Amino acid sequence: MSTFLPCGVYHQNYAQDHGWWQTKFIRGKMILLFFVLFIAIPRIADSYWISVFNQVGYTILGALGVQLLIGYCGQVTLGHAAFLAVGAYTSTLLILEFPWPGFLTDWGLAYPISIFVAAIVAGIWSVLFGLPSARVKGFYLILTTMAAQFITVDFIITQYVSQIGGRGQAFSLPPGTIKIGPWVIDSDLKVYFTMLVLVILCVSGLVNLLRSRVGRAWMAIRDNDISAEVMGINVVKYKLLAFFAAGFIGGIAGSFWISNLAAISPEHFPWFWSLWLVGVILIGGVGTIHGTIFGSLFMVVVMELLQLAIIPFADTYPKLLMDFLFIKEAAFGLAICLFLIFEPNGLAYRWWQAKNYFNLWPFSY
Amino acid sequence: MKSKIVAKVFTLLFAAVLITGSASIGAETIKVGSLNDMTGATSDVGKDYALGIAEAIHYVNENGGINGKNIKLYQFDYGYRVPEALTKYKLFKRFKCVAVLGWGTGDTEALSPTVTKDKMPYVSASYSGHLTDPKKTPYNLFFATDYSTNARAAITAWFDKRWPGHKDNGKRKPRLVCSYMFASPYCSAPIRAIKDQAEILGFEVGPDQDVSLFAIDTKSQILGMKEFKPDLVWHGNTTMSVAATLRDAYSLGLGADHIVNNWGYDENLPRLAGKASEGVMGAAVCAFFGENVPLMDKVLEYAKKYNPGVPDEKRLIRTVQAWGAVFVLREALKRADKAGGLGGENILKKGFETMKDFDIGLGAPPVTYTATDHRVAGQVPIYELKGGKFQIVEHVDLKKRWPEKWAGEWIGW
Repeated sequence: MSTFLPCGVYHQNYAQDHGWWQTKFIRGKMILLFFVLFIAIPRIADSYWISVFNQVGYTILGALGVQLLIGYCGQVTLGHAAFLAVGAYTSTLLILEFPWPGFLTDWGLAYPISIFVAAIVAGIWSVLFGLPSARVKGFYLILTTMAAQFITVDFIITQYVSQIGGRGQAFSLPPGTIKIGPWVIDSDLKVYFTMLVLVILCVSGLVNLLRSRVGRAWMAIRDNDISAEVMGINVVKYKLLAFFAAGFIGGIAGSFWISNLAAISPEHFPWFWSLWLVGVILIGGVGTIHGTIFGSLFMVVVMELLQLAIIPFADTYPKLLMDFLFIKEAAFGLAICLFLIFEPNGLAYRWWQAKNYFNLWPFSY
Repeated sequence: MKSKIVAKVFTLLFAAVLITGSASIGAETIKVGSLNDMTGATSDVGKDYALGIAEAIHYVNENGGINGKNIKLYQFDYGYRVPEALTKYKLFKRFKCVAVLGWGTGDTEALSPTVTKDKMPYVSASYSGHLTDPKKTPYNLFFATDYSTNARAAITAWFDKRWPGHKDNGKRKPRLVCSYMFASPYCSAPIRAIKDQAEILGFEVGPDQDVSLFAIDTKSQILGMKEFKPDLVWHGNTTMSVAATLRDAYSLGLGADHIVNNWGYDENLPRLAGKASEGVMGAAVCAFFGENVPLMDKVLEYAKKYNPGVPDEKRLIRTVQAWGAVFVLREALKRADKAGGLGGENILKKGFETMKDFDIGLGAPPVTYTATDHRVAGQVPIYELKGGKFQIVEHVDLKKRWPEKWAGEWIGW
């Protein structure tokens, strides 16, 4: 392996062509990123910033499915919060109500198993609402995905699922119930590590899937579904597979959310959150995994920084703090407008441009 | 040239940050966070509450503070969104706030495990009965009687005062229906208690009706109720939605009496519902804005002083409730400060849980917290609307009437 890529393409097989870390430099960058994420941030960041990163991770996990559906398969969705809700409720109910054999709870396997089951259930649930995609596209599909939100969260979860156990609307998980093996997830930092592992697993899984036959089929459907069908791709099967994969990751996101808060109610999954996730990928860049991460960072971290920036002025203008949500909402809307007008490819495109510039630096002509 | 101007502007901004930031250094302050809803689903009642919180904190600071220390308030609008509430709460922790003045049931119940772990006293505007059992939610507190107690009292008052004069009394059971937003933990918090109370008093309970907090048309729900022919409807939403339901019930001739949870029962109700609000009963956890009760003069004075743009006739009982929350926190902080410090546990044990029949004024019942029970009182004043004015009907004392159930069975739900 060379340190830098030579000028020109010398790959002799697909493995080389698709290699993740093609040079020592890239491997070095990834190891550095690993150190930053697993060692530097936990050491440097205080509890507040760790919780902000947890929010970023939750947004990434939520938006990955939306990116897959919209960005890679061309299936516009506005009801993804429903699948997060299915994941969160499945995981919670399994932990609280399922008669686990003693040894499984003793070994701290209830939560990890519940994450997996929640992902499967959310995936299947997503397929149900993906079925109309066999017949409808565009605006009509948006409406059917919105139905997922209202049928799942406002009707089924609120009216029936929430009543299980007679608790009322909100479920709260007693301390110590969310654990992986002997490791009880009871602090922001532990939630952060859980988030990192889940994000890395989901991102790696999805990136690999996108490089496979399945991913290529999705992209063919996105680019032109009729041409894809002519080429022999079973469009309905792959669309439903995309819904399953998106729901699966959404289920993981929902299961992760309960470790962050140890409580859930239907109010945690409003329709606005589905819209927000679409905004994340629009700002980050549609059709790129980097975009999902950049979009999540932008929507969470930049907003927090903006908030911190106005706090010193709060003594003089106390209304600034109260009005911050207006500012945030306005900034969200404005950011989407500006990105759609001036940078429709999102932040990921800027990243790609910067990388290209430095790849050829100092002779960038 | 341009870059020089930009550099100057940034230097000035930086200097302003330093000056404003350093102004607070040196003065001894106690930091308190406040979550409010100015833009979300409950903003119809949340805006006035938020104004009240800021005014009450000004009053506290201008009248001795907490044993001489001023409160520095960090007040945020979170739009009634749970993820937003979570990040704001973490921000309060970062600012080293000693307590939080919270808002809705959804976020208060969601944050409950976290505040318990952090030992952060959390004085909410949610009066959910789920938050009253210190075994489960030790750091959740509020100054008012809880939703379940209020609902039990309102049903009892109707049963005592209205049902005996009903033409069907003695011929059949009275019929009750609940109208509220199922998805909202605030609205659904007392449902179990309501059905329990209905059973105790011998009601027949009809199917619940799902009415959104944003509802402006509730005719289908009213038609659903009409099939059951209720004598009494309990409303669990906030004022705007309750007013819409009352109007539709009036225009469709439902013919039932109405009782309303406290966040749907304020000065705006007769304004919005007009004749349809006549005779509507409800629980109020303190005096209405401008009523002649101790300390109301201060509430009026500070409303004029700090928010002169909002006329008195636009202000609501929500302002008074906000003052109640601030006063109960002030007392707890004062006691804890004298007793050794403002750590979370100290505020709870040496502050809140030492209050016994503590009178905060404002027409609120005297407040008692114990280590085993965070319900502040068992007596609830029930009002009714007559000619657009609130008139007291009865003070229902649940504690006296059902002492055994009150002491054991009813706590925490």
